[in-house]
Amino acid sequence: MKKKFKLSNLYLVVIFIILYVPIFYLMFYSFNSGGKMYDFEGFTLDWYKELFQDSRLLIIVLNTIIIALLSAGISTVLGISGAIAIWYVRKVYAKNFLLSLNNVLIVSPDVIIGASFLILFTFVGIKLGFTSVLLSHIAFNVPIVVLMVLPKLQEMGASLIDAARDLGASRWDVLSKVVLPYITPGIFAGFFMALTYSLDDFAVTFFVTGNGFTTLSVEIYSLARRGISLNINALSTLLFVFTLLLVVGYYFITKRNARPIGLGARK
Amino acid sequence: MSTSTIIRFENVTKQYDNDAAVLDNVSFEMERGKFYTLLGPSGCGKTTILRLISGLVEASHGKIYINDKLVNDVPANKRQVNTVFQDYALFPHLNVFENVAFGLRVKKLKNADIQKKVQEALRFVNLEAYENREISEMSGGQRQRVAIARAIVNEPEVLLLDEPLSALDLKLRTEMQYELRELQRRLGITFVFVTHDQEEALAMSDEIFVINKGKIQQRGVPTDIYDEPINRFVADFIGESNIIQGKMLRDFVVQFDGKEFECVDQGFNPNESVEVVIRPEDLEITTKEKGHLKVKVDSQLFRGVHYEICGYDENGNEWIVHSTKKAVVGEEIGLYFEPEAIHVMRLGETEEEFDARLEAYDDQGVENGN
Repeated sequence: MKKKFKLSNLYLVVIFIILYVPIFYLMFYSFNSGGKMYDFEGFTLDWYKELFQDSRLLIIVLNTIIIALLSAGISTVLGISGAIAIWYVRKVYAKNFLLSLNNVLIVSPDVIIGASFLILFTFVGIKLGFTSVLLSHIAFNVPIVVLMVLPKLQEMGASLIDAARDLGASRWDVLSKVVLPYITPGIFAGFFMALTYSLDDFAVTFFVTGNGFTTLSVEIYSLARRGISLNINALSTLLFVFTLLLVVGYYFITKRNARPIGLGARK
Repeated sequence: MSTSTIIRFENVTKQYDNDAAVLDNVSFEMERGKFYTLLGPSGCGKTTILRLISGLVEASHGKIYINDKLVNDVPANKRQVNTVFQDYALFPHLNVFENVAFGLRVKKLKNADIQKKVQEALRFVNLEAYENREISEMSGGQRQRVAIARAIVNEPEVLLLDEPLSALDLKLRTEMQYELRELQRRLGITFVFVTHDQEEALAMSDEIFVINKGKIQQRGVPTDIYDEPINRFVADFIGESNIIQGKMLRDFVVQFDGKEFECVDQGFNPNESVEVVIRPEDLEITTKEKGHLKVKVDSQLFRGVHYEICGYDENGNEWIVHSTKKAVVGEEIGLYFEPEAIHVMRLGETEEEFDARLEAYDDQGVENGN
């Protein structure tokens, strides 16, 4: 048995090395006192210090986080409503149609979405900047939240709602006391996914951002174009670690979701 | 209608879109404080009746009264009835106490009252010590009790039970049958119990409604339903039966299997075609000479309390016999039965005509085997 899996394991290891080595390479040299991405001279945290002294960069970080939190929050609310709406649709083909429309937005290239938003915003007359970035982030986050919340809704038996109605619950009670608590894990998962998507989005933001407003990924791109500075490495390292933390958080939430259907005791 | 009537259906029909009616022009009354069972095969409309009472579905036509008040337009959350669902539908995000308290909380009762009532309800179903358990930590039988407690804590006038025992194993199911019956007596409220299990229905009910294809076929106390089934469907669905074509020659004489037999049925036209029912336990195995019928034993199954023997007579009719005595496969045996064991069914008779005919016998003072 072991021999049989050796080759596939090797393949897997190679693939992971190819994927992760550039990232670790970049992270490694963020601690290089030499100032170059070769010839490791000595360990230093200077690049990180420089990073934290750069107030412009800190503002950009803050912008990015604000955009991420706001867009994830707003799109979670919209996404929940959307998921509940799709869930309520009785006709199967109408349901599938709506779901497909939702999924198309997830798989369609960011460039297309970014470009179309740029056209829309200039056409409507929205000034490019904070508002336009926020709006477009909300737009591409909503389908993700819908996709995360809908399975939880479908897993919840219709009889739970019947039972709540039977026990005297009004429509609002049903929503707030039964449906929302039940789908809470899905809501958290959706929120975290939206947060990560928003944090690392480059293409859409690049299109719709304007003068004086920029997010981290766009900033890193422009820094990288100007020339090599290990600032970028330091910044990328921090970003990577942060995203890693989000993924770990997401993992624990989905693990909680994975308990037996209908028996998942949650508090 | 009498004052003891609690639920009344008047010509109620339920139809989804343009499909055939799930429930077809059904009328009935249910009395306060009785245990009713709606019995029928799956898809017969019994659960629809339950959901119409609880208000989870709306009638297409007809009127539904609860307590003499028309409730067609009263939503489910405003009706004084509660349901125990087939899958229990307990809220997985709440513990046992909060599940039971749900109905009281949405009615905004005071915390102290909720505490008291929930504890009382849990004591009623023998779950005092389980308040803080999560639903996932409860066994099937315990969940069942939680579901019952959650329903009765609201003090409904009618408790609806939608096949609540079907998910339990046989031993637990039998136990719960006793408990439910006992619970109904102690609470003194009306129970409407839905099942497809005829034994359950016969054991528990004050009255059974046998339902098929969206219509009530027959209603009555368990013994009547069992002993005097109105038609082939009821005879077949409730217990095992031998059903055979026959002819009613005159009152008290029926012909089937090429022979004439004395029976206790009357009120038929001379030479009317009928169906004859004889229950397997009413057939007695005897010698070929003593028996009314000669049957060749084809197969035999051991059922625990009895043997189920299947055989064919000389005309090719199948006969099932329940006997504590063993038979020998391949051997010819005689079957003996009393005149009272024969039940004659008129073809296509409605429930009203059937009841009228039965009453006519009683008026004449004819001694009826039951």
